[in-house]
Formats: sequence, structure tokens, C-alpha cells
Amino acid sequence: MYSQLFVEMESFQFTKTGQAACGDDIQIKVLKDENRYLAVLSDGLGSGVKAHVLANMTTTMALRYLQSNMDTLQSVETIMDSLPVCEVRKISYSTFSMIDLRLGGITRIVEMGNPQYIQLRGTEEVQPLKHETIVSKHWPDRQVECYELKMIPGDRLIVSSDGVTQSGLGEGPQYRFGWRRSGEMEYARARISSNPEISSFSLARSIAYQAYGISKNTCKDDISCMVIYMRKPRVMRLLTGPPFHKDHDIDFAKCANLGEEHTIVCGGTTANILERVIDRKVEIDISKLRRDDKLPPAGRLPGVAMVTEGILTLTRVCKALEDSEPTDSLPETARKIIEMMKQHDKIEFVVGTKVNEAHQDPSLPQDLELRRGIIRRISSALNQKFRKETEITFF
Amino acid sequence: MKKMQLEICCGTTCYMMGANRLLYIENEVPPELRGKFEVKALPCMGLCNDKNLSGAPYVKLNGIIIENATIEKICDKMRAMLDD
Ligand code: FES
Repeated sequence: MYSQLFVEMESFQFTKTGQAACGDDIQIKVLKDENRYLAVLSDGLGSGVKAHVLANMTTTMALRYLQSNMDTLQSVETIMDSLPVCEVRKISYSTFSMIDLRLGGITRIVEMGNPQYIQLRGTEEVQPLKHETIVSKHWPDRQVECYELKMIPGDRLIVSSDGVTQSGLGEGPQYRFGWRRSGEMEYARARISSNPEISSFSLARSIAYQAYGISKNTCKDDISCMVIYMRKPRVMRLLTGPPFHKDHDIDFAKCANLGEEHTIVCGGTTANILERVIDRKVEIDISKLRRDDKLPPAGRLPGVAMVTEGILTLTRVCKALEDSEPTDSLPETARKIIEMMKQHDKIEFVVGTKVNEAHQDPSLPQDLELRRGIIRRISSALNQKFRKETEITFF
Repeated sequence: MKKMQLEICCGTTCYMMGANRLLYIENEVPPELRGKFEVKALPCMGLCNDKNLSGAPYVKLNGIIIENATIEKICDKMRAMLDD
């Protein structure tokens, strides 16, 4: 049951108003071979660049200790011993939550000073299997909360910094103690009940925005929310390029069968093959053309989300992924492809390998890379930068 | 009178060779041609690999291929068609 699952781990942050850097840090690591998903969220004391460096030191150390299965108390003490201590408050300079999720096994969460995590099954809160508070001999005034829990398919974990739970602090009687964990949980439950499949990113963003809104759209503290969602993987398919042998056209076209929201076709000849199979024509809407788009417009074909031009569009997508460009400034088609990729967990590329002779013409104003190469680069950027699973099938 | 049908190829080769500008032809034609034609964009029409043709971008005006298309060339063909 668990081998088919996907663990979606996403976060959203707001930086304290007026600061150049976020004083919270989040790091995630997937150990595929061990079926383990590790995440650490740390809140550096104070705000700005100094807090960011402290938070980042914490997440880096904590992730390493989690990975090497170091004893909990020992790792927490080592982290606290390594961080500088605030002269005034005599406390170490960061708080943190460490998550070690094991597919099919026990998930362990260790918290030091951070708000307690929330586990939701649908909209119901799930209590941990075990909870223990340990006190370090070195740091008797600091408590370490250790939880063991069972995550089953469909469960979500929400982990936030106190910028979320304390948002709105002092904003009228309703928020005398801030939004609190209970307010955050109520909000998350309402979001899930109106959209049971809500992605981790959308939920984390929505919670962070709500916290921001409660604080009257200013951040009195850094706001960070991370959501971990265990679910069936969302698969999309991108078809591009005509097959090397014409006889394979039909088999190639059959791959466009994942459903309208999960299929993209990149390339005119590719679209022509589908047109023939389904006996419909691509319709290109030029009413919303923008002069600065720099890529051919998108077309519509029943059964697929979008039809685009091939190599120029894919080259632009590749560059944007490799350089982590913000999608807002991209041409429409490239933006839509990347957004769709981000909404899916696994991207399957179905790639025809026939070379278009016209693209090899030296009089073209721009060199065109071969489709195969571009797809390999897109695939590795998706693996490495976006933790997406990919698969390439050549035709 | 039935409007002329102008199909502009938006495939890779045609787009790189200037079809991107042709897409705005409706704003650029002289007054006498305004409202006389309809523009449609198409994916690669398969002409870019035809060795007998002289070069992209390709458009079709009422089904007739125009090679190395420019706005001026298309306008000339439209006028000729209207005169017939
Ligand atoms: S790109 Fe225009 S005919 Fe092929």
C-alpha cells in the first residue's frame, strides 16, 4: 500500500516586515531507499539576517542528525550547545521542530520551543501514539517534546513557527493570545473540508496568508508554515515530437490518455498526430496575444490541457526551471507548463525522436537543441530542484 | 461578401522566421483591407520541410500558400484577390 504513495512536503513563508531575510528556515530531505522523509523547521531568535543564519545552522545540523539516526536528546543538546546563548534571556538562539516520517512505520517528531504540530486525518485531529517530555541536564529550563505517531494515506501534518500561532497578538479581544494553534487548526480544517484534495503548497500558503491577514497585513514576526501530505501521486504526461517510425504514431497518441487536466502536448507535428487520431482540429486563441510573449500562443484540443509549440517553448521551460525563475514573468505557455508540473508529483515524458530537418537549417536565427537533450535537462531539473519523480519514454 | 481566410503558421520554424509579427496583422493593414479578412493561427502546417518551397514563414490565404510571408506580401495578395 505504501509503495504507491507520495509524500508532498511544501511550505510558505512571510518575512517579518522591514527585514531583508527570513529568520525562520526550513530544510527537507528525502531518503528514498529508506522510505524516510525528513524535515526541520527552525525559528532563529530575533529576526533578519542574524536570525536566518542561526535558523539555518539549526536546520542543517538537525537534518544531519536525523539522517544519521542520532539519539534525540544527544542531537538536541548538541544543537543547543553549538548555538550562541542570548546574553539577556540566557536561552539558546533558536527553536525547532524535527520530523522523521517513515512510510509504513512510526513517524517521530521532536520539538524544542516551537508550536506543537497538527496531525489531521481528513478534518479530524489525530492524537499521537506516544508523547514524552524530556529535560536536558545541560538546559534544565528547556523542554523537549517527543512524539510518535502513525501517518496513514490521506493524513496531513502541519508544522508552523510561532509567527503563525501568535499572529494577531493583541489585535482586539478575539486575539488576546494571538491566533493560537487552535485557530490555525480550525482554519486548516475548514480549508480541507471545502477542498479535501488541497495540495500541501496551497494549504501552507493559505494558512500563512491567513496569519498575515490577521496581523492586519504586516508581519510582526516571520511566518512559516509547512504541510506534509501523504497521498496517491498525481501524475501528468507531456507528449512531444513525432515518433521515429510513422507506424508508431497511433501507440504514441494513445499515451495522451491521462485525462484533460494531466496531459500537455508540445509540438505542432505531435498535435497533428493527435488531430488525426481523434479527428478534431487544434484551435489557437490569438485574442489574448501579448506582444512581449516571445513564444507561440497555446492551442486547445479536446482531451488535453493545452497544445503548445515544441522546441522553443520547451527550451524556455528548461531555462526557467534550471534558473528557478519566478513563473509570473514567463510567457504564458511556459508559465502554464511549469505550474502544471509543480502541481503534479510525477511527470512522464513521452518523446518522439524524429528530427525535424527544418530545425537543422543553419539560416535559422537561433540554434535549436535536440528535443531529447532538452527533455533530459528538464527532467533532471525537476528531480533535483523540485523533488519531482520523472520518467522518459522514447518513441 | 465572405471574408478572406488568413491562416498563419505558428510552428517553430515559421515563428522564428517572423510569424510572430504576422499575428498582429489586423492592426497593421491599410484601412481598405480592415475587416475584410479573418485570422487563424495554426500549429506547424508541415510546409517547413517541403524542399520545393522557398522558405518560412508560411501563411495560407483562402487556402493558397504564401511563402516568405510578410505583412506587405500578404496585403498585396489580398488586394489582388479583392480585385478578382
Ligand atoms: S513551422 Fe510553419 S510550416 Fe512548419
